[in-house]
Amino acid sequence: MRKKKIGGWDIVLMTILSVWALAILLPVINVIAVSFTSNKEYLARPMMLFPLEPTLKNYIDLLQDKRILIGYRTTLLLVLLGVPLNLFLTTSFAYGLSRRGYPGRKLIFYVVLITMLFNGGIIPMYLLMMKLGLTNSLGSVVFAYGINTFYMVIMRNFFSSLPVALVESAKIDGAGEWRILFRIILPLSMPIIATITLFYTVDRWNEWYNAMIFIKSPNMQPLQLVLRSIVLESQMMDKISATGTAVIDKERFVSGMKMAAVVVTMLPVMCVFPFLQKYFVKGVMVGAIKA
Amino acid sequence: MTEVKDNPLVKRSHGGILHLIWKHRMVYTLLLPGLIWYIVFAYGPMGGLQLAFKTYRASEGIWGSPWAGLKNYERVFGDPAFWSAVFRTLYINIGRLIFQFPIPIILALLLNEMKFVKFKKVVQTVFTFPHFLSWIVVASILTNMLSLDGLVNNVLAAFGMERISFLGSPSIFQPMLYITDAWKSAGWGAIVYLAAISGVDTDQYEAAEIDGASRFQRVFFITLPNIMPTIVVMFILAVGGVMSTGFDQVFNLDNVSVRSVSEILDMYIYRITFQAPTDFSFSMAVSLFRSTINMVLLLIADRGAKLMGGDGLLG
Repeated sequence: MRKKKIGGWDIVLMTILSVWALAILLPVINVIAVSFTSNKEYLARPMMLFPLEPTLKNYIDLLQDKRILIGYRTTLLLVLLGVPLNLFLTTSFAYGLSRRGYPGRKLIFYVVLITMLFNGGIIPMYLLMMKLGLTNSLGSVVFAYGINTFYMVIMRNFFSSLPVALVESAKIDGAGEWRILFRIILPLSMPIIATITLFYTVDRWNEWYNAMIFIKSPNMQPLQLVLRSIVLESQMMDKISATGTAVIDKERFVSGMKMAAVVVTMLPVMCVFPFLQKYFVKGVMVGAIKA
Repeated sequence: MTEVKDNPLVKRSHGGILHLIWKHRMVYTLLLPGLIWYIVFAYGPMGGLQLAFKTYRASEGIWGSPWAGLKNYERVFGDPAFWSAVFRTLYINIGRLIFQFPIPIILALLLNEMKFVKFKKVVQTVFTFPHFLSWIVVASILTNMLSLDGLVNNVLAAFGMERISFLGSPSIFQPMLYITDAWKSAGWGAIVYLAAISGVDTDQYEAAEIDGASRFQRVFFITLPNIMPTIVVMFILAVGGVMSTGFDQVFNLDNVSVRSVSEILDMYIYRITFQAPTDFSFSMAVSLFRSTINMVLLLIADRGAKLMGGDGLLG
């Protein structure tokens, strides 16, 4: 094998890519660093990448503010209720669409396509939720996002790409349609199901807009909205204080608490992502390069 | 000799369609839950669109409210803030096509040229992960870095330069939108192009190397032209989003200082719906307009992408 020579261009390339990667990492590190910094140290050394005297106080303050716990609970509920619904609806529909030769197939497909192009906006959805009695309940947010048509099409394409011979030979062996689905198709589809599960989980974890419109009760606020209210609070305090750093509340270092809230919200994604990255990438590949 | 009615190869003419439906009953069963969801939660709300031509009275509901012809649209088209929002949306999003669109492509080309696999993998993980954070989180991270007393400004001050309010200046709000969106999603966007690049015939590279082509020439004259079809398709799809892109980002980066330049169409709709006295008919009139234009753009984009040999929005 030819040995790789390191040319001048390679060094330039590595530099550019490293700078870009640092541009992404540094802000994140900064946030994590501030979250572990005390009020006192931040005033003394505002520019830093890690605190010399780390403290857990911001996190303690954050936990004592019950909102973050409510946020975590609501979002976990949302994921536990929402993702199975998403998977059930998406997989069954995608498999149905991937089968051929039944009347109405094209019609159904166009019906679904139109929903991708056109929607009525949030108000009619809100009025619908009112009619269904779901306002101010998590159910409204769970059901408002049922099928992501884009993901559904990716799944459908995957099902369509499975060799027809597989189903045919199973039929010859006398297997019924349901058995074929559960014993053959689904096990083979685990990779794509895993990928779509991840996509939906991230979507649910990041969900905030529907909840903001449908849910008014402070006990049912998802994590993202809790984070948002903490951030807005600290921004308001920034306006009042002269230095631009919210330290008015001597008891709490509001900026630090804000950063702790950010860390707590992005931590699951950050931890899990490197291991699951290949699933996300594969999903895009399947979607982008259709068989 | 089997009779006609016993011969399974002979299709029966009457009851044929019912027979087919029964034969495929499993498929219909599978489609049913999703279909119900689409009808209730995707088509159901569309009934609300008629409010664009009515005057909404809460007591009478959507169907009972009286018709008002084009009165709502007189108000919409007469509102300068509406036109301002429309043009601002187009201005910002067309600018995205010029300034932001190339970034994932360049990134993909750079990543592809990287020889050291371990480095490439690490770097790719770093680039791709911000896409999976919500804009609420990303806005907090970037605001922290770019605030007047944040890391970047502290560095600038250390070098004796003036502090810049990156996210609080109307004059640079638009470029900051492009930069922050690229920060978040360029890595993820590069994946599609990397997939396309991986499909390029390596013979071409070898031939070029023999002919003495430089690295730069190889990228420019082989890689780039080969992924042109993908680039064109992605571009056309981006054009389809020109009316609708950006709400999540703008909503979370919006603040009092930049209010004058941040009201894109979706922000306008949000304001008139939730931050003004409730007038559902007015809001629906704007929403209907926005959805219709958006659909037309998407259809044009879909047709355009298919003409270019791509797959369009759906397979």
